[in-house]
Amino acid sequence: MIKEFATRLALLGAIGLLVGCGGESQQGASAPVPEGQLSGSEQAREFYAAHPDFFSFKTPADIPTDLAWENGMDQPDIGSPEAKKGGIQFESMQDYPRTLRTVGPDSNGAFRNWILDNVAVQLAHRHPDTFEYYPGLATEWALSAEDKTVYIRLDPDARWSDGEAVTADDYFFLFFFNRSEHIVAPWYNNWYSTQYTNISKYDDYTISLSMPELKPDILTQALEHTPAPEHFYQNFGPDFVERYQWSFIPTTGAYYIRDQDIAKGRSVTLTRNTDWWAKDKKYWHNRYNADQIYISVIRDTAKVFESFKVGDIDMFGLNLAEYWYEKLPDTDPDVQKGYIQKSVFYNQRPRPDYGLWMNSARPLLDNQEVRLGINYATNWDLVIERYFRGEYARLNSPQDGFGEFSHPTLKARPFDIDKAQEHFAAAGFTRRGPDGILVNAQGQRLSFTLTTGYESLAPVLTILKEEAIKAGLDFRVEILDSTASFKKVQEKQHDIYFGAFGRFLELYPRFWEYYHSDNAYDDAFLDDGSVNPNRQPKVQTNNLETFADFEFDQLIDRYTVSSDEQEMIELSHEMIQRHHDYASFVPGFVQNFYRIGHWRWVRFPEGFNHKHSDGAGELFVHWIDAEMKEETLAARRSGQTFEPQINVYDQFADEM
Amino acid sequence: MSFKLNPITLKKLRRFREIKRGYYSFLLLMGILLLSLVGELLVSNRALIVSYEGQLYFPTYGAFHPGTDFGFNYGYETNYRDLKERFEQEGSDNWLLMPPVPYSPNENHTVTGIYRADAPSAEFKHYLGTDTTSRDILARLFYGTRIALFFSLGFLAAVYAIGISIGSIMGYLGGWFDLLFQRVIEIWSNIPFLYMVIIIFSVIPSTFSISTRIAILLAVMVMFSWTSMTYYMRTETYKQKARDYVASARIIGASNTRIIFHHVLPNTLATMVTFAPFTIVSAITAITALDFLGFGLPPPTPSLGELLKQGTENLRTAPWIVMSAFGTLVVLLTLVTFIGEAVRESFDPKKFTVYK
Repeated sequence: MIKEFATRLALLGAIGLLVGCGGESQQGASAPVPEGQLSGSEQAREFYAAHPDFFSFKTPADIPTDLAWENGMDQPDIGSPEAKKGGIQFESMQDYPRTLRTVGPDSNGAFRNWILDNVAVQLAHRHPDTFEYYPGLATEWALSAEDKTVYIRLDPDARWSDGEAVTADDYFFLFFFNRSEHIVAPWYNNWYSTQYTNISKYDDYTISLSMPELKPDILTQALEHTPAPEHFYQNFGPDFVERYQWSFIPTTGAYYIRDQDIAKGRSVTLTRNTDWWAKDKKYWHNRYNADQIYISVIRDTAKVFESFKVGDIDMFGLNLAEYWYEKLPDTDPDVQKGYIQKSVFYNQRPRPDYGLWMNSARPLLDNQEVRLGINYATNWDLVIERYFRGEYARLNSPQDGFGEFSHPTLKARPFDIDKAQEHFAAAGFTRRGPDGILVNAQGQRLSFTLTTGYESLAPVLTILKEEAIKAGLDFRVEILDSTASFKKVQEKQHDIYFGAFGRFLELYPRFWEYYHSDNAYDDAFLDDGSVNPNRQPKVQTNNLETFADFEFDQLIDRYTVSSDEQEMIELSHEMIQRHHDYASFVPGFVQNFYRIGHWRWVRFPEGFNHKHSDGAGELFVHWIDAEMKEETLAARRSGQTFEPQINVYDQFADEM
Repeated sequence: MSFKLNPITLKKLRRFREIKRGYYSFLLLMGILLLSLVGELLVSNRALIVSYEGQLYFPTYGAFHPGTDFGFNYGYETNYRDLKERFEQEGSDNWLLMPPVPYSPNENHTVTGIYRADAPSAEFKHYLGTDTTSRDILARLFYGTRIALFFSLGFLAAVYAIGISIGSIMGYLGGWFDLLFQRVIEIWSNIPFLYMVIIIFSVIPSTFSISTRIAILLAVMVMFSWTSMTYYMRTETYKQKARDYVASARIIGASNTRIIFHHVLPNTLATMVTFAPFTIVSAITAITALDFLGFGLPPPTPSLGELLKQGTENLRTAPWIVMSAFGTLVVLLTLVTFIGEAVRESFDPKKFTVYK
């Protein structure tokens, strides 16, 4: 899905901020458009007229006849034919969503998964096993390589959750909407303005999209769209952010939210659309099975676990060793009696790049020797072995997990006190102070603030701190709340940051966001490529290392415009190597599995899940067996037991 | 300012000694305080004495000894537990003496190869077990308590200095000064203390050393806590002001400062002393609460609140964490409260009142 590539930091950390209790918009989303004001549709028409090159209205006769249409119907079905519809799934969230919008301020939170990322149907989706496309809102598509255009036939059955048909107009509106300043989302404004050159309508159910470059994943760019419901946004205007704050936007997916199911600060309930347009379609008919999903706010992880143990919540993530081995061990009575089942599932996909991000614009950290020393003085191996109990693997570069695009041989630097001290000595830190921390000739201590927003991973940092002292390096650990820490990092106020960016399922890694000098400084270089002496770090970008290298920029530019996969792979390797040499990132760890505990009545298809999935509930292939739930609860009262089930699904375990 | 204790005060102190529960609590607390001053001799991963190649070393205080000082091949701080083992294996004349608890509060020391909470074990000298990252709980409790105690003493001193001065001046001068400060205090004391501490502390740059950060935390807490003391002192001074001895002092020509601090203050001792233990209790509670919420002392500083938090998160799997932290807190607060009660009783002019 085309969506903002940003702050999905809610992976492990809690978001501990005040609940957003924004006031109800005076006029709702569905109020009549006031006299003298243009409706959303009228504004869109004006916009189309003002950009005739971008928005074209053609006839079916304009579609080239020599296209090779694909429909993706040859992929294996998803889910299990045994799945039963019905039941209520009970879930929890750590924080109440601050908005129900899916775009604009505060919309990029963990809750969006429930209403957009994992639920809304796009034109087509990557198959979670084969990585090929299977159809969603589109019935077939065709790529025309010479004019860098993808032609798409829409499914005429497709309906919004309020019953309106999904037509070509909704895709046009999507571009108007995402390019409008009213949505207060600069990333979307930029993406939809620069990554596409044209959208054409041939009839109500045929469109085409043109892209500026023929990238290897051009289909992703064309097909991973959810349209915007034009009929719903008739009151679209400068007050968009407030007006639509708590309106549920009609969806193409199976779940919608009724007004009465929003209990602000407490819970949200999703309801299954029994009349869903895709309910009998291949790839969709065995999914989205629970009638309702009740998601309540439970702020404290320990309490979520207790709720799970009493059966108020159906599933609980057991990724942390502490939970898997100690809090819900295999010997736990509920597991032994078969009420709760434990499952591990190995997956293959790009994974969050946990590591230490050094801000190379800061004093001392601008010295490569210091950065190299820090790489050697950071004992990730010990953290992985002792704290994560050897279950995680060392990340070798932030671009791991992209198949051929990842560097084949590069290894992260090991913990090596001697090498660390050599590099520190080369930077002038030769003498140890009375506390064992290195000092240079000016009496400056080798000490840096290590900031993080993951409270639950604080022990990792205290272990790193204790180990770094051995190499004469001092980390001042700073644990902030997740919002505050990301703010600090986005303002480029950090020395070293411990964190990770969530990764989407993509074909190749992104470099521009992380390493282009455009994202490091305002005017990083003069025209001749030399460093601009007056440059200032640029805030609000993902270049957390303030990485700026003139030649690297050229590589990124070549990579961005390249349409040759082999060339892109080579460029990718070269950039990964250069970035490694620059040493502003200490790769941390990756987890190549996920594991959960779930009550017996939560049923999964045989084989449990899919190769590229990233969580057990993500694809909604599970179902809630209401009869089994009654049976289990009764058995629990009477003491009857079942066969214990601890399942390991390692069919997709890759070499780590 | 010199405090000359009058016979009545001396009598009160004697009375305090007679109240055994309070008196022994006081002695015990003082004992803990003194012990914690020399804590490094009891709980530390540095050896007390090392005899190496005929030379004696006392590594406890002062600069660190790199491993190379004792024949290891590393330049960082010597691991004295390893050294002890080595000496024993070598069977040479070298020897060393470790403190009874041979761990520092920050080091991860695992006996199982993984970092997790281990149950108390005398064999490994983890007498109260370890926390979730294999740090010795006794060491963390010990230093956490030390910080909490000295923090609260500092808090007491600062709150008293400000509260007593302003309260006494308000009571003594009266008039517009009194009126103005009453309003100021009313407004000031309505600012929610905990939120302010959280907000202010969150913007303090982390480049400050841990001790500076603790000092700032103390200053912020004092800033929002001195007000309660002023009211008691104001009333008390008001009362004393009307007494003849104050009038006499004024006739002789004593300055206001002298009258307040030299004549009035000793006569308000009962109020001051009575509130002292409760101020300490509130300081310990506040710092523990802040740590529990994650807004107090920066990690990895040992603290009771942090241990309590870990304990509540691992109630089922590692009950020893919460037991140690909770037990310590209960003992500490009970001791202080016993002292407070005894002080109140001994300063009560009616000898035979009891709590009802």
